Amino acid sequence: MSAKPETSKPEAPGVHEKPFWSLRPKSDRQAGDAVVSNFLLHWFPAKVYKPSLDWNYSFWLGTASAALFLLLVLSGLPLLLLYVPSVERAYGSVKDIEFVVTFGWWIRAVHRIAAHLMVAVVFLHLVRVFLTGAYKNGTGRGQHREWNWVMGVVMILLTLFLSFTGYLLPWDQLAYWAVTVGTNIASSIPFVGPDVRELLLGGRTIDQATLIRFYVLHVIFLPGGLGALLAYHMWRIRKDGGLAKADREVLETTRKEAAPGKTKTYTLLGVARGTSPLVRASSLERSELTVNSVNDLVRRVYIVVLGTFAVVSILACFIPSPLEEPANPMITPNPAKAPWYFLWLQEIVTDTTVKIGSFTINGAFLGGVILPGILLTALTVWPWLDKSPMEAAGAWFHASRKRQNAIFLIVVAIILAFTIVGTFMRGPYWHFFWPWQAWPELPTRI
Amino acid sequence: MEKRTDSPYPRKDLPILAIIGVLLVISTIVFAVTDHRKDWRYYQAEFKKMVAEKFGAEKAATIPSGMKQIWVPDMRRADRCITCHQGILWKGFETADHPYKTHPPEPIRTHPIEKYGCTSCHGGQGFAVQSQEAHGPVKFWEEPVLGKSMGEGYSLAGDDKGALIQMNCNVCHRFDRETKGMDMINHAKKLVRDKGCRACHVVNSRGGTIGPDLTFVGDKAAEQYDMSRLGGQKTAFAWHVSHFKNPKEVVPDTVMPNFGFGTKDAQSLAALMLSWKRAPVPVDFRPGVARTDPQTAEEVADEQRMKTGPGAWFVKTGCFICHSVSSLGVKSAAQIGPDLSTAVEDTQSRFGKTVDDFVKNPTGTMSVVLTRQIVLTDQEKEVAIQKLREAYAEHQKQKAAGTAATASGGH
Repeated sequence: MSAKPETSKPEAPGVHEKPFWSLRPKSDRQAGDAVVSNFLLHWFPAKVYKPSLDWNYSFWLGTASAALFLLLVLSGLPLLLLYVPSVERAYGSVKDIEFVVTFGWWIRAVHRIAAHLMVAVVFLHLVRVFLTGAYKNGTGRGQHREWNWVMGVVMILLTLFLSFTGYLLPWDQLAYWAVTVGTNIASSIPFVGPDVRELLLGGRTIDQATLIRFYVLHVIFLPGGLGALLAYHMWRIRKDGGLAKADREVLETTRKEAAPGKTKTYTLLGVARGTSPLVRASSLERSELTVNSVNDLVRRVYIVVLGTFAVVSILACFIPSPLEEPANPMITPNPAKAPWYFLWLQEIVTDTTVKIGSFTINGAFLGGVILPGILLTALTVWPWLDKSPMEAAGAWFHASRKRQNAIFLIVVAIILAFTIVGTFMRGPYWHFFWPWQAWPELPTRI
Repeated sequence: MEKRTDSPYPRKDLPILAIIGVLLVISTIVFAVTDHRKDWRYYQAEFKKMVAEKFGAEKAATIPSGMKQIWVPDMRRADRCITCHQGILWKGFETADHPYKTHPPEPIRTHPIEKYGCTSCHGGQGFAVQSQEAHGPVKFWEEPVLGKSMGEGYSLAGDDKGALIQMNCNVCHRFDRETKGMDMINHAKKLVRDKGCRACHVVNSRGGTIGPDLTFVGDKAAEQYDMSRLGGQKTAFAWHVSHFKNPKEVVPDTVMPNFGFGTKDAQSLAALMLSWKRAPVPVDFRPGVARTDPQTAEEVADEQRMKTGPGAWFVKTGCFICHSVSSLGVKSAAQIGPDLSTAVEDTQSRFGKTVDDFVKNPTGTMSVVLTRQIVLTDQEKEVAIQKLREAYAEHQKQKAAGTAATASGGH
C-alpha cells in the first residue's frame, strides 16, 4: 500500500502486488484505507481518540491479556505434539519436554508463566474497568457496555477454568492434589455437588477419564470458547464507540460547544440491524483530538504484545517450571494446596467451618460455594446497580462512585490478602507460618 | 490529497518499540545459549579426547555424540545416563574417574544394560541429563543414586560404602535366601530368620499379626512416618535404623522388643525394609527362584516333631512362636520370650504374680498377645496353667536327673 499501483492491475482496496507490505501512509485517507483493506486491522476504527491511547488510563491490560492468550496458543501448539494425555505416559512426556526436547523447558516455562500471568492480568483488567466505571454507557447510540462487562466476567471464569484444567495435565503430585482440592470444593454444592464433581472427573476418582476430559477441555473447548468470546468482546468495544474514556472526551467537548455539529452515518455491511451507529461529526473532524489507528494505535499494540512476549520469554529463562513426584493417590502432600488463584477460597473454606451449638456450617459450602456465588452474582449485575451519572464513565475514581469503589477495593484487598496468606504462609496441616519462619523439615525416603 | 496529520506518537513510541525489539533478541539469545550449554557436551568431548589419546583418533571418531538413552519398554525406563557415562562398556578405563569409568563387567554380564537400564539398579533419575538432577538428592525425585556418597552420609558400617545399592537388587531378588554380592541384605535376611520377626509380622504372606505386615513396607511414604522423635536425618531409612536400635525411642508405646541390634544389623535391616516394595518388574527380569519364601525341609520337620511331642499344646496354641519350652522339647525359632519351662517361678520374680494370676491378668507385652493374638477362654486358661505346671515339673525332674536341657534346645 505504499503507493498507488502504476500498472494496469485492478485497483481496489486490499489488492496488492506485494505479498508483504510495510505501510507508510502519506495521507489520513490512506491510513484509514489501511484498516479497511487489512483483515487483521479490521477491529480498529480508522481514527482513535488520543486519550484512549494513554498508558496510564487502561494500562493496556486487555491487550496484554489478549497477548498472553495468543502466546499461550502459540506455545501450546508444540506442547500439543509432545505431551501424551495418558496416566501412564503424561508424567514421562513432561519430563522429556523438560530434559530432552530442544527448547522444551523454555516452551513449557513460557506456557506456564503466561498462564499464571494471564490469570493475574485478566483480574487486573477487571479491577481497572470497575474503578474507571468503564462498563457504563456514554452518549453514543446502541451502546451496551454492560453486556461487554458480563462477557468479561464469563471470560475471567473461562481463564480460570483453562488454567485449572492445564494444572492436571503434568500428572504430578502438585497437579493431582490441586485438582483434588478444587473438585472437592465443587462437591460441597448442595444437592448436585457430588454430581458436579463426578461430571468434572468423569468418575469418582481422578483417573484417566479425568485426564482426557481436562485435556480436551484445555486444548479445544475452552480456548475455542475464549477465542470466540474475545473476538466478540473486541467487536463490542467498536460497537460501543471505543473505550469509555473516548465517550467522556466527546461529552466534554460537546459541552463546550453548545451548537450540535453535523452527523455522519456509516453502514456496517449489514452486521448491525436497524439504524446504523451514529457518530458525531464533531468528533471526527477534530483532528487535534484524534490520531489515525494506522500507525499510532497499531504501533502501541505492537509495543504491548511484543513487550508481553519479551517479559514472559525472559522470565521463562530464569524461572524453571516445577514438576513434582508422579501423581500418587496414596500419598497426600502436606499441605495440599489448590492452584494459587483459588487459595483465597481454600483459606476461607478452612476458616469458615463454624460450629454454632450442635449445628455445623460446612466451610466448603460457605467459602467454596455461597461466598464466591454471591461475589460473582454481584459482579455480574453491578452495571445495573450502579446508578452513578454518565460522567463517571471512563474516569478513574470518579467522585460519584466513591463508595462503590471503596467497597470493591476492600473486597479485592481481602481476596489478595487471603491469596497471599494461602500461598506463602500456610505450611503443613495448614498451620500459619510467617515468611521468615522455616517450615518443618520434610522427610524423604533415603 | 489531504496531508497526513502530524502525530506526537512516533517520537515517543518508536524508541520503546526499539527497546522491546532488543529485549526480544536478548531473550532469544539467552534461551538458545542456555539450551545449548549442557554438561554432557563437555563430558562427551573429554571422553573423545581420552579415547583418542589411548586408542587413536580413528577409534575416537566412532564414538556417537548427542543425547543417548537406553529405552527399556518393559520397565518404562528411559535411562539417559549413558549420555555422559560413555565409558561403561569400554575396556581400558577401569581406573578413570566418573563419568568415564568402565563398569565392572560381572554385574553387566548377568544384567545386560540394554535389558535392565541403569536406574533400576543404581537409582537416580534416568530422565535427567544434568548431573545434579540425575544423581540427586534433588527435590521431587525420591530415588537418588544409591552410591558411595549416600553410604558415607549414613556412616554405613563396614567397608562397602556403596552397599545401599543392594536395596534395589533386592527388589528383584527378594525371594532369594542368599544372593552373591549382596552381603548387607543377606545379613539382614539371616537376622529376619534368626530373630523370628515372623512371630509378630507377616512377611510374604506368612507370619503373626501383632505388628504391621512388612511385605511391602518399602512402599510406605516418608510422610507416613512419625519422625518427631528422630534426631539427625529425617528419612525413612534413618527412622528404620533408629527404630531397630531402640524401638521405644521412636515409637514410645510399641510392643516391639529391643533386640539390641548393633549399627550394622540395624542398617542392614533398614535397607531390607526399604527394599520390600511392590516392584514394577516384569516376571522374566526376576531371578529363577520360587516367588515364595518357604520354610526349609528341616524347619518343617522340626515343627512336625514338636507338634506331636509332649509340648504339642504349646505348639498348637502358638506359644512356641516366641517361647521355647525346653523341658518338653519345644524350640522356638525366635526365642523372643523366656523359656516357659520355668514360667512358674519366673512370673513371681518378673511380675510379682503367681502363674495363675499372670495368665488370667497378664501385663506388658503378654497382655497385648493374649488379647489380640492368642485369645484364650477361661477354660483354656486353666489348661494353660496346668500345662505350664507340667512343664515346670518336667524341668525339675530333668534338673534333678542332671540332664537339664539348655534353653536353646534339648534334642
